[in-house]
Amino acid sequence: MKSADASGSALGAFADNLRAAPRRIREGAFRGGAPHTDRTRSTFVFGNVFLHLHSVRVHRWSLRWWTTAGLGIASVAAFLITLVTGVLLMFYYKPYPDVAYASIKDIHFVVPTGRFMRNIHRWATNVMVVTVILHMARVFYTAAYRSPREFNWLIGLALLVTTLGLSFTGYLLPWDQLAYWAITIGANIAQSPREVTDALGVTDMFDPGGLQRLLLLGSDTVGPEALIRFYLLHVMILPLGLTMLLAVHFWRVRKDGGLARPSDADERLGPPAQTYPVFTEAPAKTYSLAAVVRGRTEAVNRGPENTLPSMPHLFYAELAVTMLTVAVCLALALVSDAPLREVANPLVPENPAKAPWYFLGLQELVSFSAFMGGIGIPAIVILGLALIPYLDREEVQTGDWWGGPGGWPLVRRSIAVGLGSVLALEAFAIRFGWLREWFPAIPQLVVTFVNPATILTLAYGAYSVWLVRRHASARAGALGLFTCFLCGFLVLTVIGTHFRGPNWVFYWSPADWPRH
Amino acid sequence: MQKNKLLLLASSFTTLLLLVIAAGQEHFGKEWRDIQGQGRGEEGPIPVQLRQIVNPALGTSDRCVSCHVAMAPGEESVAGSPVLHRHTPAAHDPADYGCTVCHGGQGLATEKTDAHGDVDFWPQPMLPPGMSQAGCGTCHAYVGIPGAGVLAASRGAFERHSCLACHRVDGRGGVQRRASTLRRRGTPQPASPGLDGPELSRVGTTGYDARWYEDHLAKRAGEAADQNATPWSTVFHPIGEADRAALHTYLATRVGAPNLIEAKATFLSTGCLGCHTVGGVGGEEGPDLTRVGDKDPGQVDFAHVPGSRSLAAWNLEHFRSPGAVAPGSQMPVLGLTEDQIRKLTFYVLSLRRRDLPGSYLPKDRLRVARFGDREFTTDGATIFGAFCSGCHGLDGLGRRSPGLPAFPSIANPDFLSRVSDDFVAATVRLGRPGRRMPGWSRIAGGLRPDEITAVVSYLRTRSGIAAPSDPRPKRWVQGDARAGERLFASTCSGCHGATGQGGEGPALNNRVLLDAATDTYLADTIGKGRRGTAMAGFLTSSPARRTLAAAEIESIVAFLRTWQENVK
Repeated sequence: MKSADASGSALGAFADNLRAAPRRIREGAFRGGAPHTDRTRSTFVFGNVFLHLHSVRVHRWSLRWWTTAGLGIASVAAFLITLVTGVLLMFYYKPYPDVAYASIKDIHFVVPTGRFMRNIHRWATNVMVVTVILHMARVFYTAAYRSPREFNWLIGLALLVTTLGLSFTGYLLPWDQLAYWAITIGANIAQSPREVTDALGVTDMFDPGGLQRLLLLGSDTVGPEALIRFYLLHVMILPLGLTMLLAVHFWRVRKDGGLARPSDADERLGPPAQTYPVFTEAPAKTYSLAAVVRGRTEAVNRGPENTLPSMPHLFYAELAVTMLTVAVCLALALVSDAPLREVANPLVPENPAKAPWYFLGLQELVSFSAFMGGIGIPAIVILGLALIPYLDREEVQTGDWWGGPGGWPLVRRSIAVGLGSVLALEAFAIRFGWLREWFPAIPQLVVTFVNPATILTLAYGAYSVWLVRRHASARAGALGLFTCFLCGFLVLTVIGTHFRGPNWVFYWSPADWPRH
Repeated sequence: MQKNKLLLLASSFTTLLLLVIAAGQEHFGKEWRDIQGQGRGEEGPIPVQLRQIVNPALGTSDRCVSCHVAMAPGEESVAGSPVLHRHTPAAHDPADYGCTVCHGGQGLATEKTDAHGDVDFWPQPMLPPGMSQAGCGTCHAYVGIPGAGVLAASRGAFERHSCLACHRVDGRGGVQRRASTLRRRGTPQPASPGLDGPELSRVGTTGYDARWYEDHLAKRAGEAADQNATPWSTVFHPIGEADRAALHTYLATRVGAPNLIEAKATFLSTGCLGCHTVGGVGGEEGPDLTRVGDKDPGQVDFAHVPGSRSLAAWNLEHFRSPGAVAPGSQMPVLGLTEDQIRKLTFYVLSLRRRDLPGSYLPKDRLRVARFGDREFTTDGATIFGAFCSGCHGLDGLGRRSPGLPAFPSIANPDFLSRVSDDFVAATVRLGRPGRRMPGWSRIAGGLRPDEITAVVSYLRTRSGIAAPSDPRPKRWVQGDARAGERLFASTCSGCHGATGQGGEGPALNNRVLLDAATDTYLADTIGKGRRGTAMAGFLTSSPARRTLAAAEIESIVAFLRTWQENVK
């Protein structure tokens, strides 16, 4: 009797436990209860490994549409889209020459929704490149890179480079003519230091260009080794790197005190339209851990005034931008197929062979000097971008669009200067040629250092120095220089994409290209 | 937050809508689904699914059968829309070989325009309708094909001897015929008694009994004694040796690709090989044509070609006016008929190659590649048609094309009646350096000694003019070369140039010419002239020019001989 009772109560307990299991799983997942109140939501965000990359509360300034234009989130969304579609594509893609091409054909024609997924993947990539560049421009023009966010600006630069690397490595995978010759061009750009070592006659002893190319391709030409390298970089190394950099990037946004905002943001926003309930219950925070941490983070000693709980306010904004990005990518994918040309044929060069569009500005510079276009100027640009937050130590108008001395009029003037000088130089070089055409026997080193690309860089630099002196402000110089380079990038990319035909000759329209 | 919520709602709905559209496209936007929906097999509707023929050895996966279902293995009985229909009987069963090996096109594709290859960036579009047999050239190099004239004559012999009464060839003839020997999957081979002889459409490939004639004779003799003699014995008659050779020529060309053979025969009688090389044989004036049918249309200039951007359209137009389609081309307008142009285009499209695994390499290709067998028959008429007629004309009367020097008439009776066979053979072998006539004795690409002999004897038989019998030695003239020089300057240099370099008349200071020509030939040509050309006979008196005595002619010949030593 007793044992039966015991077993009965054990079974009862088992049944109770079974009934309670869903509730307990829920409780375990959402520590601190379901996120219904501001308090539980805050705990939820704080306790969730992914969500805690956000701060628990977000300033109202950050939620205004034009504070960020959602560009950062759009970039992440595009990355997530490429991640999902990319994994799906990996089920069918085979990274070996010719087989790769056939597998893309299979994906296009046979795999259910394969063509759609590939189109989305391709469009999301382009969206990502564009939004990443625009995001950088936004951060720059709102002077959001300033202290204490300098390091995050550097992380952002690393993310930009990784994004371009991801896109570039993916370019080869279809193994068609477009891919093959674009990567050949890209590899030759990597080899461009040879221009200088050749001119100095030391290539036999010191050949960094050749080494770079060899590391990239794993062989002398684009072949199976290059394809495997690019594949591995594309599906594993770079995405992992990007993900980690992203985590740091987000984390730093939080740790650096949220998005940059003007010091008088609170006044400008005015009082909130309604009184937000701030910590409706007594704070349950303990300081035991924080007490042992030395120093202070940006959020310490700042009141919760004018902030809103991230959940739901920030999450709605992020979700909205994400879904918008998804919609845009889907729409583009429905309208336009990702390109796929003939299978790669090393014996039939594409003419013109063009790199991916975001490198066509560089390719345009490479046409003047391989070293300057491929290594010199990109290095100067990256270095310049990295130094900006350390040279501009001003504080005025942080968080304001076009903030800084001169403001929008200065940017407008810089656009005129930037566009004008690149167009003038290009027009001159296209119309009259350059040193090599005038003096065929001129030493290569002279052409390497005196060509439209270097002159343009110098002109931009000089203009920027002039701005620094005129406004007595590094920020003014940075505004001018950044704007000029953006204009130069734009114009050169458009010229490289649209106006360059076979043998990199200028044509007003691809329709004018000679057929052979 | 309200704005963000609205944006989220709007973009979510847009996303949903786009996904629905994509799903619709995915499911309802596939043409092959509709086509298969109309298909009916023996047991009712056929399952709607992607079908393909995979041939790992050839590296093809042909999804063409997703629409052309009845060409898929085991689905011959499917019927419905015309697209579904089974393949016409062919030498190679598509179920084994797939589709694109022969037809071109994009086997991996599942949409019509992509699959037929009429899209950008697909280098091998389908062969045009009516020219499918050009696809045979992908693997085959049919050997021993005669020129059009010889082929027509051999077909004439075949028909004259009523072979079609019993034998079926290329879909014609055969009173009571067996089922086609061209395989068709699923059709049983009927046991067929009766009069019929075997189908001969592919005997050029499969071979036939070498003793057929003797067997036919014996059978005829046997039946003559039989009371129940079949009509056969009245149809078959003894055949002469020449006609038997013609029959052999004809049967050797029956390889299951009659249209391609016709096209190739036309190619072999329009002199194309005089300038172009195919498979390592032919002249070097024009581009090598070995793989010209493989050209990627994307790499071809269609600026001057009206109509469709296909290789066929380009070639048709190019044969009509080469210079207009390919600016700068040296190729003359050949004055071809539209039918010839179509056949030449057909043949040019068949000049394609594919890397083949050894087990797929056909006998004929092997014979050409390894044993040096000729793709053309080596009779004089065919060789003349293939190599010489481009310049000298199919009738040998020469040709004049704008912008090019006139090509001489080698059928000229005055020429043939004075020239020795050795002279002609030497000229063919060595050519005329400095003129357009190339030497054909090259180790690669040229003609073999017996082939050159065949051409020379063809010139004789064609004209009926025998070689002159010349009892005198090759060199017998003992004239005064100094006197000859004066006479040459006053009489000959007007046309032949002061140093014999040629002008209106041909060059004479040519080593091959002087080496090959006998004194008799030179003296006779000067003395009696060559009718039909500007060269008059100088022995005959004329008010228009001076007359030469025989001794004067000999001194001119002696003068010409002095060049032989000096000319390098």
